[in-house]
Amino acid sequence: MGKIIAVHSYKGGTGKTLLSVNLAATFAKLGKKVALFDLDFRAPSLFAILKIGSAENWVNDYLNNACNIDKVLIDISSRIPGKGNLFVGLANPATEAIRDMSAKDRKWEMRALGRLLHLRNALITDQKFDYIVFDTSPGLQYSSINAIVAADLVAVTTTGDRSDVDGTSRMLKELYNLFEKKTGIVLNKVLDYNSKNRRDELYDRVKNVYQVPLLGIVPCFCDILRAEGNFIFAQDKPDHPFSTLLAEMAKKIDANEVR
Amino acid sequence: MSKEQVLGKKPVAILEKIRENLERLNEKIEVMIELQKHDRKDVMEPLQDTPLDVMTLLSMPDHLRKTAMAVCRSGRATADEISQQTTRARAVESAYLNQLVLMGYLKKERKGRKAYFYAHRENEGEA
Repeated sequence: MGKIIAVHSYKGGTGKTLLSVNLAATFAKLGKKVALFDLDFRAPSLFAILKIGSAENWVNDYLNNACNIDKVLIDISSRIPGKGNLFVGLANPATEAIRDMSAKDRKWEMRALGRLLHLRNALITDQKFDYIVFDTSPGLQYSSINAIVAADLVAVTTTGDRSDVDGTSRMLKELYNLFEKKTGIVLNKVLDYNSKNRRDELYDRVKNVYQVPLLGIVPCFCDILRAEGNFIFAQDKPDHPFSTLLAEMAKKIDANEVR
Repeated sequence: MSKEQVLGKKPVAILEKIRENLERLNEKIEVMIELQKHDRKDVMEPLQDTPLDVMTLLSMPDHLRKTAMAVCRSGRATADEISQQTTRARAVESAYLNQLVLMGYLKKERKGRKAYFYAHRENEGEA
């Protein structure tokens, strides 16, 4: 049975989009059928990262009940080596669309949750997708919490920043736990990863502060900064250590090792 | 029901009617017990059309959130179906579902002997 993964964080700039895109591409490389959705309606970015100029229908339209999900999905499987399939649903980057999405009322958000929950039937049950990956907005936003409620697993990206550590541990207790969600931590932008003391310190933090399984530790790669969002590492740099780490994370998720 | 009306019906139909009424009474008693247990006399008056959005789910007590989330996932379900998801007793789920109806978060619809609960969602899954 397929899985829905929401990639979330407390703060912005922790690497949610980087992880979402590369994790989705890694699953596709492993031969899976994957749908990646941009649910960051305040700062859409997948269209730019994936270099897709325009879309006939956006995720916004699906949530507005203006089209079905097949009209939103764009097939980019040809970019991925192997037999897997990768589809993407984009958030509308137009300023008017961003304004419109931030002015929705509670009733609309309730219906949007229904539409997200419906994806399980529409894509996983009916169209046999193996993975749905949601790239979300940081913090406690309606769109992110809707994505979390609809997901089977929340991959939480976090850095060593003190405010991020504090906020993430609060979200674990007061958000993911309340919704009884399986959660895995991805420590990103980690400095001095090669030092054993540093790694031990990080393992202790995950064990004692976060008290949830560790999905992976991603060192601070200058190559990622240098790429300026121009590469999908899992696809363009398959031998890069970041791609290797992603493959390990994907296998951990696929083997149901995050409980 | 007059004596003539009773005699005019088949005994099975009468028993079915009695069972249906007993089930409804039972549901009402379950709600009253549950409300007393949680000391929530304030929600006895039905509220109208309150959206069951994620912020509302977050602010709910744990026992009701579990039930409400199961309804969100199912779209429309009976107490029996919800109890299978939550692994709590049907009677407990029935009480929580009816409490959520009283609070205005869910709607209830009877079809024959079955009562279906759903959130106030329109056109879910359409288009």
